[in-house]
Amino acid sequence: MSESEDPHVVVTSERLQSVIEALSYASVDEFESCLSLLERSGELRDEFSELETAFSIFVRELGEAKSELNRTLAQQEAINRELEAKLETIEVQQAAIRELSTPIIEVWASVLCLPVVGIVDSQRSAEMTETLLETIVSKQARMAIVDITGIDVMDTKTADHFIKMARAVRLLGAECIISGINPGIAQTLTHIGVDLTGIRTLRSLRDALQLYLRETEQLVVHQHSQLARKLSSET
Amino acid sequence: MPSETRSFAIQGRSDVVVAGSQGRRFAVRHGLDVRRATELAIVVSELASNIVKHGVRGEIRLIWSPETPPHGEIAVEAHDVGPPIHDLQLAMTDGYDDRGPIDPALILRRGGLGTGLGAIARLADRLEVREEAGGKVLTARFLLR
Ligand SMILES: Nc1ncnc2c1ncn2[C@@H]1O[C@H](COP(=O)(O)OP(=O)(O)OP(=O)(O)O)[C@@H](O)[C@H]1O
Ligand SMILES: [Mg+2]
Repeated sequence: MSESEDPHVVVTSERLQSVIEALSYASVDEFESCLSLLERSGELRDEFSELETAFSIFVRELGEAKSELNRTLAQQEAINRELEAKLETIEVQQAAIRELSTPIIEVWASVLCLPVVGIVDSQRSAEMTETLLETIVSKQARMAIVDITGIDVMDTKTADHFIKMARAVRLLGAECIISGINPGIAQTLTHIGVDLTGIRTLRSLRDALQLYLRETEQLVVHQHSQLARKLSSET
Repeated sequence: MPSETRSFAIQGRSDVVVAGSQGRRFAVRHGLDVRRATELAIVVSELASNIVKHGVRGEIRLIWSPETPPHGEIAVEAHDVGPPIHDLQLAMTDGYDDRGPIDPALILRRGGLGTGLGAIARLADRLEVREEAGGKVLTARFLLR
């Protein structure tokens, strides 16, 4: 654009219109349509066409930047979704662990079993007590077997708390058997001098279940013989 | 024999379980017998559950230092961003929190007997607490015999 030339540029309103139209395409992210319009009208070579070319370069770059941004956003969204799914999994796992840490099984009608495995700390022993006592009430259980075969070490206070749990079970009118006390725990219990009177301990879960079966059997036999006696006295 | 450190982020209950069982493995690997290793695991579990309960969030670090006399040491560090322990001596007392005795009627609702720090004091060789930027560290030490 030299000084000697005519400073005015003549443009037909048709070309101007087409540039305006192209820009309106760009404003709604229709970069392809915008570019094809600009290229079509850029066939004439004059100063205005330089402007059109500059425009189309600008629009092309804008288009690329936009699609790059959209790609990143989509990636980010995918990551977020994945993260949310993971958090959900973690929550589910945490709930599972909470349940697994006090898995109370109704082995028989009105007989509950609480197998204790893993590491027992003070919080877990408090949770176990709470859950066991609640379940005894809700299931109207007559007997609770706490099996600690899997436990070889406990803090003295925690062990003491276990015994208190057994006494609390009796307060609720059910019987509590602790099975599977191993030498390490037995040592801990005697070390703190816990009073084990009134608390039934058995070598294994199997012994505990057999005891229960024997007792209920005797009960049934007893009831049967009573019934038989009653019937024979009536005839 | 090189020293070794392992860290576990603690935010929820499942992290407590993971840290406990990893603690036992770490201890056995560095020469504690199974009984002491389980005691260390209980300590890890108590410290980690205290992070969840009282310390907001934090980290358990297991540190094996072979040079500590006489035969090396495993330190269990519990870092957290929660409030300071007002009075450690009091908090270590069974049935107490860091300001005084816990009302027995509240024990179930508050989710604990208040015997965790007491258990740590009984099971570990030493228990210390120190402030650090943005939080505090409790350290329980197990010496190899
Ligand atoms: N990481 C911690 N941050 C802040 N306060 C703590 C922390 N750990 C323990 N405390 C304080 O020390 C008190 C005693 O802790 P301790 O572990 O003995 O009992 P607890 O956690 O309340 O119950 P339990 O451990 O028997 O389930 C707590 O009640 C709390 O006030
Ligand atoms: Mg605690």
